[in-house]
Amino acid sequence: MQQALGRGADVAVGGVAPERRARGRALLIAASVIALVVVVLQIAAMIGWDDAPGIASWRTVALAVLGWFIAVDIAVVLMHGVRGESALFLLPALQLTAAFVLFPTVFGLYVAFTNWNLSAEQGRTFNGLDNVRALFRDADFWRSMLNMVYYVIAVLAQYVVAFGLALLLNQDIRGRKFFRVVFLLPFMLSPVAVSFMIGRSILDSQFGPVAQVLGSLGLDNIALWEDPWPARINIMLMDAWYSIPFMMVLLLAALQGIPHEVLESATIDGASGRQTFFHMIFPLMLPVSLTAVVLRIIFELKLIDVVRVVTNGGPGGATDTVTLFIFREGIEKANVGYATALSQFYLICVIVLVTAILAIAGRWVQKFS
Amino acid sequence: MAITSDRTAHLPEITIPSVGLSGRRLRRTIGRTFTYGALIAWAFVCLFPIFWVVSTSFKVAQDIFQGRILPWLQFQPDWKGWESLGLSPSTIGEPSGNRDFFLKHAMNSVTISLAAAAIATVVGALAAYGLTRFSYRFGPWRNKDISFWFLSQLILPPIALAMPLRVLYRPDGLDLLDTRTGLILIYVIMNLPIVIWIMRDQFGSIPLELEQAALVDGATIWQTFFRIVVPLAGPGFVAAFILALVFCWHEYFFAVVLSGANSPTLPIQLAGQVSSQGIRWWSIAALSTAAIAPLAIIGILLERYIVKGLTAGAVK
Amino acid sequence: MAEEAPRNNPLWRRPASRRTMLKAAGGAAAGFYAFGLPGKAYRRALAQDDVRQQILAIPGGGSQPTEADMQRVGELTLSSDKQGAFKGQKLTFLGLNNAGLHNLVFRPLSAAWSDYTGCEIEWIDLPQDQVFSRVQQSIASGTLDFDLLEGGAPWEGDILGKGLASEMPEAVKAKLDLSDYVGLLQPPVGTWDGKTYRVSIDGDCHNFNYRSDVFADPGLAGEWTAAGGEGEWGVPTTWQGVKAVSAFMKGKQFDGQDLYGILDVCKPWGGFGFYFFLSRASAYAKHPDDKAWLFDAETMKPRINNPAYLRALTDIIETLPNEPADQVNADGNRTWSEQFLAGTGTMCHWWGDLGSNVYTNDLSVVQDKVGFSILPGSPDVYNAKTGAFDMIPGNNFAPNQAYIGWGLYVMQRSVEAGVNEAAWDLAAHLGGKDLSLWTAVYPSGFQPYRNSHFNAEEWATVYPSVEYAQDYLDSEADSYNHPNGAVEPRIPGIFQYYVAAEIELAKAFAGEAEPQAALDAAAAEWENITEQLGREQQVALYQAALG
Repeated sequence: MQQALGRGADVAVGGVAPERRARGRALLIAASVIALVVVVLQIAAMIGWDDAPGIASWRTVALAVLGWFIAVDIAVVLMHGVRGESALFLLPALQLTAAFVLFPTVFGLYVAFTNWNLSAEQGRTFNGLDNVRALFRDADFWRSMLNMVYYVIAVLAQYVVAFGLALLLNQDIRGRKFFRVVFLLPFMLSPVAVSFMIGRSILDSQFGPVAQVLGSLGLDNIALWEDPWPARINIMLMDAWYSIPFMMVLLLAALQGIPHEVLESATIDGASGRQTFFHMIFPLMLPVSLTAVVLRIIFELKLIDVVRVVTNGGPGGATDTVTLFIFREGIEKANVGYATALSQFYLICVIVLVTAILAIAGRWVQKFS
Repeated sequence: MAITSDRTAHLPEITIPSVGLSGRRLRRTIGRTFTYGALIAWAFVCLFPIFWVVSTSFKVAQDIFQGRILPWLQFQPDWKGWESLGLSPSTIGEPSGNRDFFLKHAMNSVTISLAAAAIATVVGALAAYGLTRFSYRFGPWRNKDISFWFLSQLILPPIALAMPLRVLYRPDGLDLLDTRTGLILIYVIMNLPIVIWIMRDQFGSIPLELEQAALVDGATIWQTFFRIVVPLAGPGFVAAFILALVFCWHEYFFAVVLSGANSPTLPIQLAGQVSSQGIRWWSIAALSTAAIAPLAIIGILLERYIVKGLTAGAVK
Repeated sequence: MAEEAPRNNPLWRRPASRRTMLKAAGGAAAGFYAFGLPGKAYRRALAQDDVRQQILAIPGGGSQPTEADMQRVGELTLSSDKQGAFKGQKLTFLGLNNAGLHNLVFRPLSAAWSDYTGCEIEWIDLPQDQVFSRVQQSIASGTLDFDLLEGGAPWEGDILGKGLASEMPEAVKAKLDLSDYVGLLQPPVGTWDGKTYRVSIDGDCHNFNYRSDVFADPGLAGEWTAAGGEGEWGVPTTWQGVKAVSAFMKGKQFDGQDLYGILDVCKPWGGFGFYFFLSRASAYAKHPDDKAWLFDAETMKPRINNPAYLRALTDIIETLPNEPADQVNADGNRTWSEQFLAGTGTMCHWWGDLGSNVYTNDLSVVQDKVGFSILPGSPDVYNAKTGAFDMIPGNNFAPNQAYIGWGLYVMQRSVEAGVNEAAWDLAAHLGGKDLSLWTAVYPSGFQPYRNSHFNAEEWATVYPSVEYAQDYLDSEADSYNHPNGAVEPRIPGIFQYYVAAEIELAKAFAGEAEPQAALDAAAAEWENITEQLGREQQVALYQAALG
């Protein structure tokens, strides 16, 4: 594409008319000045200079910044011609995310190194690395981290099921549309609803249909939530129920994208089903599999709703997730400083994990293609 | 991509003379049975909870605690759950505070989800296109890093953003607390990564030749994008939009933290059904049914787009 | 088993309570009319009785109140004299959105007030488990966006301590008749530094609910004696008795259903689950001669790992195998509604909601089968000073006055917003004597909290019998007014202590930690929290809260 651009852009690059460039630059400078002025005014008003005109509030600042963003977008196009146009695709997303994420990130990083309990009389105080030290000593936190390992492994199992379903749906079957819609339905039920209706209603050990069925099989008074592993597995099952459709859809779409000729030629050559799959289909599916699994893992690592409603981390912390743990620390115990430190630490861990997955898988994909 | 054929020995023949089935046919029949069996089994797994939700919305307390499953056979349907939303036959004609309450939440959910999903799809698709077609450089950062940066926005647990956002949205700040706009903004940020990552695969699979041809003909990049790429990736847009919509619809945490009287959404009303008077299962069930209905309808109508839209995906 | 029922035991009963005096004065009629001082109050009571009878009849026993019903009640009890005075003003009210309760009751009840005064009300509804954290976040981020708050008394440490509430005007005090509040809700509750801030709308304590039919069953009585059970068959009045009875019931059936004894709450519940443990422990840990029971008053050293609490924890752990399956995953909502009212389990300690739901809640199958008493006691109680258990003749009772009660607080911000008067007027309306009778009798999320609520005859217009109402009301009143009531400290962050303890206890319930180790871990957590919140301040506030 760069080459195409190059060819087409040869006309433009050298030839961005100087007036255009000048206009662009002027716009940029004007917008920057305005934004700067507004910010300075706002800071002045905050500090309390009496003669600061009262026009600025953070909303005005936001609008000024917004204006600046738009000006940058336009200026980039004016000043850099074709290259500017190509940059313009990415700019809105970048600007929006950066603007929004900047303050919480900075604020979060600061708070993570403070001792801040919302009920404390002294308010927020800097406490250096105390939170980090406490983090490493917190057995319950590490226990919830270990649980996340289990939950992530469960994602891989979900992937296998989703792939299987996609393969099934990809075949020539009757009622295909019906099955596809039905298989998509679990995704449409909100996790909060799932936690109540499945976790506490269907899986209720006294009134739920599951308990009744088990009872009619002679297994009376079965406890579904009393022991660590049954509880974890039940949580994983519920999570799988509403998460598999997401992966299934991505995988099915990719499967449908494999041209028939590819598959047919393999069968003609006498390859067995299994060999076709492993040597042909699976490699083609790797990129989408990677996207699906990575996205799923990221969502899984934020699991909270189901666990909170059904077991609240129980029994005794066996099903606790990191996000629920942080929720408890930051919201129920109002220990905001420590909770933010935990969040930042977790963020780093997950980034490392995802980077590793992408790197390893990336190499794998290359090996196969 | 070259396809290597793998010559393997033929599979052994199995003949069942009495039935006259050849090995391949038998294999196929077993295969089909297994296929349909698995499909039906999974369909049951998918549908039973949905059935449970819908049927529970017609139950009364006794039915729930006796664990009755089948309507009409084991219990008489009752409109109580729907009454609590003001949507039962008896209340539908009358003015109903319950219904107003429900509609407020529902309309908020609709507005916020649609707007956020739409904006995220547009902005995200543009970014995804940029990331697949051009090489950017911001200092040491390349496309890969930028993509990863977007992805990392998904990772941070919402908890960590609760306080900063409340501070940011203050009345003397951005003054977006308890507004739909405020929620829409945060939902767009949350869904951008998903849209970008999905659309990247989409655009990656559209052959360059079409665009190159257009460029040579003198079209600008943007013209090329709108005239050639967008129609081709149309289903992809729809699919990304629907996925973003579903995520926005279900979002609970930020809605609670940032809402007040004006902007509460359906998940908040759902969570409120757990009260100190016990859990009102019939209300939760009715609310869940009402919440899933629009999505289900969209799913049914646009299902072919979802799959088709993501189809261009993996083949490289 | 059947000792003298506690309320008849002269040793603890407060001498010359109003009720006994009046009963002595003779005649149900005298008792019915003479609340407070005779004379002026008498005449006022007569006139108001009309209103009270009227509203109690809306909608009458056996039916669930509709919005229209509640609006009518709001109309009839309207006592504001500010007609049209607040036209054009807008109040923001933050409360709970529990289905069918709290805000959903406040709204129709305030409709008439809103029409009358011209003031608009904007409602912020939040799920119960989010309200307090939302309030805290609002405070910390400086975004207090409400004028009126429905808040719990335990929050007073955080809210009143920071000067965020506006002081109650004298006129409102007079209107509300604060002396009518039960003992539990008298100052220091609702006050800070001597100033009054709170309009009480609710009182909270844990009482004891039991299946009267099961404990009167002759078949079981025979089995009990045959199995060597102590004393006669009947509802236990000590926790030791509860344990024995629960063990006895295991494996038995009653009316074709499995029989279970006590229903314990073991699941962490945002701090609320801890109250159930405290109810199990208060009789062991709250000494009649010591006001403190959770912490040492001088140092805020936690007492939660002392032998009293250890005994309570061991009780629960040893009884769990005799409770229904998955009881360890049962939160507070499950035990009273999905279990007890639905017929499972024969003993349940809960807030008064259980009693008020027996006849009004659809899922109840135990009508005519429920009896009430204060929480069971114990023959001995732990003495923190001596480190030993003291025997108490007639048993030690220490009703857990859990959560103290909901109240309405007018925020300081309403002054700046110019709606302070309106806010107090609305609060006075919702906290009024007659309206509150209605909310106490009918499902609203609120329990009786005024002495004037405790007239069984009035309740009998809705409840099946005076005896039933009396039984229920006695269990509440006796808990509120008990001389050895166990009340929690209204210090900042009190729920953080509860959440921390819940988590440690959950490990013990799940068998992952030894009881003493779990309690020690909880105590260590409590010390951390105290340090973080500022020990000196906590000590000072704790002592102030103890009175």
